[in-house]
Amino acid sequence: MSGSVEIASQVAPSWSVRTVMTRFGIAFALPLLLLLGGVMSPAFLSPGNLSNMLLQFAPLAIVAMGQCMVMIVRGLDLSVASMMATAAVIATGFSGADRDVASIVAMAMVVAMAAGLLNGFLVTKRQVSPFLATLATMILLQGFRFAYTQGAPSGNVPPFLRVLGSGKFHGVPYNALVLLLLAAVLGVVLHRSGFGRRIFIVGGNPVTGRLFGIRSDAVTIACYVISSCLAATAGLILSGYVGLVDNWVGQGYELDSIVACVVGRVSLRGGRGSILGALIGAAIIVILANEVLLLGIPIQAQLIIKGIVIVAAAAVYTRRDGS
Amino acid sequence: MTAIAARLTPPWWLRSNAGLIGVLVLIGAVSIVGATVSDRFLTLGNLLNVYEQTTDLALVSIGQTLTILSGGIDLSVGSLISLTSCLTSGLINGNPDRVLPVVAGVLALGTLVGMINAALVVALRVHPLIVTLGMGAILQGVTLLYALGPVGRVPRSFNVLAYGRIAGIPIGATVALTLCILIALLLRYLPLGRQIYALGDDANSARLVGLRRTRILMFVYGASGFCCAATGLYLAARFGVGQPYTGVNYTLASITPVVLGGTLLSGGRGGVIGTMFGAFLIALLNNLLNFMDVSKHYQLVAQAVIIILAVSIYVERRRME
Repeated sequence: MSGSVEIASQVAPSWSVRTVMTRFGIAFALPLLLLLGGVMSPAFLSPGNLSNMLLQFAPLAIVAMGQCMVMIVRGLDLSVASMMATAAVIATGFSGADRDVASIVAMAMVVAMAAGLLNGFLVTKRQVSPFLATLATMILLQGFRFAYTQGAPSGNVPPFLRVLGSGKFHGVPYNALVLLLLAAVLGVVLHRSGFGRRIFIVGGNPVTGRLFGIRSDAVTIACYVISSCLAATAGLILSGYVGLVDNWVGQGYELDSIVACVVGRVSLRGGRGSILGALIGAAIIVILANEVLLLGIPIQAQLIIKGIVIVAAAAVYTRRDGS
Repeated sequence: MTAIAARLTPPWWLRSNAGLIGVLVLIGAVSIVGATVSDRFLTLGNLLNVYEQTTDLALVSIGQTLTILSGGIDLSVGSLISLTSCLTSGLINGNPDRVLPVVAGVLALGTLVGMINAALVVALRVHPLIVTLGMGAILQGVTLLYALGPVGRVPRSFNVLAYGRIAGIPIGATVALTLCILIALLLRYLPLGRQIYALGDDANSARLVGLRRTRILMFVYGASGFCCAATGLYLAARFGVGQPYTGVNYTLASITPVVLGGTLLSGGRGGVIGTMFGAFLIALLNNLLNFMDVSKHYQLVAQAVIIILAVSIYVERRRME
């Protein structure tokens, strides 16, 4: 039952107060959290701090959007962090001058597509559980990365990527502009295009999808490829932010992107989620992490808070759905 | 028609142990390659070494098998291992008199954390994946609050757990094997064991026939927590000191032997004996790659390829059924 209703509500969203509240109620947590931070410390709401938070927000948000699309087709992508690190290693694999940026991006995207295709192939054609398939890809990427760098990556990040990852244009980080562009494109693709509608139908119920003549497997594979490519993009950006590269750039982003999606009301069971939700979830994580620092709580407590937030958010949503 | 179907279905011993046979075939294949690579590979001494190196992975994976059989998963194992290993060396701190109470306390703590996982799954009605993911983050945070670097030390006598041998037989690995056999017997012969399979196979039917989900999950996640604590103790003994990130890789690594051993990730089918062989296979593979002088980095690639091959082949079996 819920499957078909789900599809209907996704295709033709109603904009009554109640539906908006259930779908985007979490958005109201954002101003509250910002206000809370402002009360705790005036420095929190200073333009400098806000712009820094935006800088940290972009890579996570980019990964979370990909995770969101995979989760909508009933999947999970554990390989994103490994993909990010692999892209970062690729970023330093060339001479470190700006003329190589095109090769770096091309190389990273080729690897990302291969990883995404492998994920999608295992999940659809071999019916491996997404958890396991992406876990295998994660280890595979990690192995290739270590074999390539011999455990000790070296080389420089091209200046262009550095500016992209850490530079600001009148206080607005360049990476936030990249995020804005990607979010706009993905938002349209997921919520306003025929392809996006197919994603929701396949996620809601793959069998229904097949009956409609949708090539469920192709749609699912596409989602995994998109997720890998976004992770690679975030990895390149993050390598520019960090400036130097180790084998673990992006570590923890698989957890964080899943937390962001769950908080942003993307359903683990598939068929439900939105780009906006993923962005809001990512924003909440970044703001919370920042406030933990402001409060002078030891930084380790961030992990504890993240853990509580994900369980609490999931519990609240389950209760509300009554399932 | 049923007659034809009956003739086409494989005999019972193949059907119920197909996963086990798969992992044994792989072990055989690795052994044959190993024998051609080096004369020393198939000696008793080397095999006992491999057996000893199986300990940690076997211990975690036994608990993980139970949670997966029940239709769930435990992603808090890595952090729990880190926490328990830090607490072990931190609280003992070189004092032999404290060994027994601390070991008992750590095992109890692990079990308790597992039971809290189960309680949250039941009370909040949230998928175990999310609950244990959250719990893992919380435990890692707690571990780091307790210790930011290596903490405490264990007395020499405690090392027995990791390096001790009786008549050439490694103690730690034998403890793991004993635990595995006990749990295998429980799964096979006790009502609780059958109920775990029933719950994992079809949670709805299990509810309809009146199985007590809370009790089953309490046992399953409690056992997983206990196994993590045991792994934490073992690692503290092996390194002589607890480290806050010592368990981080075990969360995902613990799933590999389970899957290699033929347990379905969707639950309800498989067993711990297969897991034990799965852990042995991984240790054997790493040992072989060491013999072949393959760098540590390619060992990861080999492991991933084995996982991908194994899960792809098992799918064929699932479709056949």
